Amino acid sequence: ARAQPKKKKKVDIKREQAQKERMKKKIRKLEKAAQEMIPIEDFVTPPKYLESNRVRSLPPLSSEETERRVLLMKKWSLYKQKQDEAEKKAIQTLVASQQAALKELRLESEELYQAAIKRDEGLFPFERDGPNYTPPLPDYDPPEGKCIDITKVYTQ
Amino acid sequence: DACVICHRHYRSRPTHGIGKFKYLLPKEAPKKRKDRVRMKAVNVGTEHEYGDINIQMTSYDMCLVEHFAKHVHRLCNRLSIRVNESYAMPTKTNEVLFLEERGSKMQLDAVLTTHQRVVQICGLSSTFAPILLEIIQSNQPEGVHLLVKEHTEADFKIRLKTRPELEELLAQMS
Repeated sequence: ARAQPKKKKKVDIKREQAQKERMKKKIRKLEKAAQEMIPIEDFVTPPKYLESNRVRSLPPLSSEETERRVLLMKKWSLYKQKQDEAEKKAIQTLVASQQAALKELRLESEELYQAAIKRDEGLFPFERDGPNYTPPLPDYDPPEGKCIDITKVYTQ
Repeated sequence: DACVICHRHYRSRPTHGIGKFKYLLPKEAPKKRKDRVRMKAVNVGTEHEYGDINIQMTSYDMCLVEHFAKHVHRLCNRLSIRVNESYAMPTKTNEVLFLEERGSKMQLDAVLTTHQRVVQICGLSSTFAPILLEIIQSNQPEGVHLLVKEHTEADFKIRLKTRPELEELLAQMS
């Protein structure tokens, strides 16, 4: 009855300490390994698209059709070029007018100018949904339902 | 014959170390830790520059979101805004179920995949930031959700795999 409590104290403490050391070693080993990034499924082609028998056979085009397409492409590229140039010009005018306004403000009052130069804390985070083709229907009653997240969870 | 074949350079000979060139190349830093979160730029208003900003584009249509991300990246290059990285977040898959009109059973409608691309920029000046937002908004296609926010460590940690064993051991320790 006397010897047993002594055993419990020493041996258990040693065992516990050994256990803790082992756990610490394990933790250190796991932490040493570099963290891996989750692989992105978009960049992995599914195997069914890698089959070589998937070949598209297109009918031959007549010369008028090819000519029409080439001219259409030229017109489209010209239109897009004009659009792009207009956008670039718009950016330049925006920046120029902003600079002019700031210059005038500086002449008006230095304090306001300094306050205007500071960054806007309320700007970020900025969120916006893309535009829609059609406005939402006024009397639409959507059916009840739910979404289940079935994303694959990767563990290291 | 044997003398011609032997090409060893002895340390006493003047040809010792001939052919070495690695000492001339600049030293590469060992790129071990992937957990290198970039130090943020000056966030104080007086310096009027933002730190790392994430432009996150989300959509169900992968081609659209990729093209838009490419457009934003090229736009930033053209406007000489420094782009730190341009990466993709992991794809999320959702099963959409709806309740049938007559019945209590949920029917599978579709399986939707949500794709997200992120363009991280740095060093945006406070005067130019609203202009950039305006341009990006005007080019935003349908169905693409735009979110512009500051980069945090949490945003980086989401991209990494979870380590349940490590977390279990840490929980046991404390």
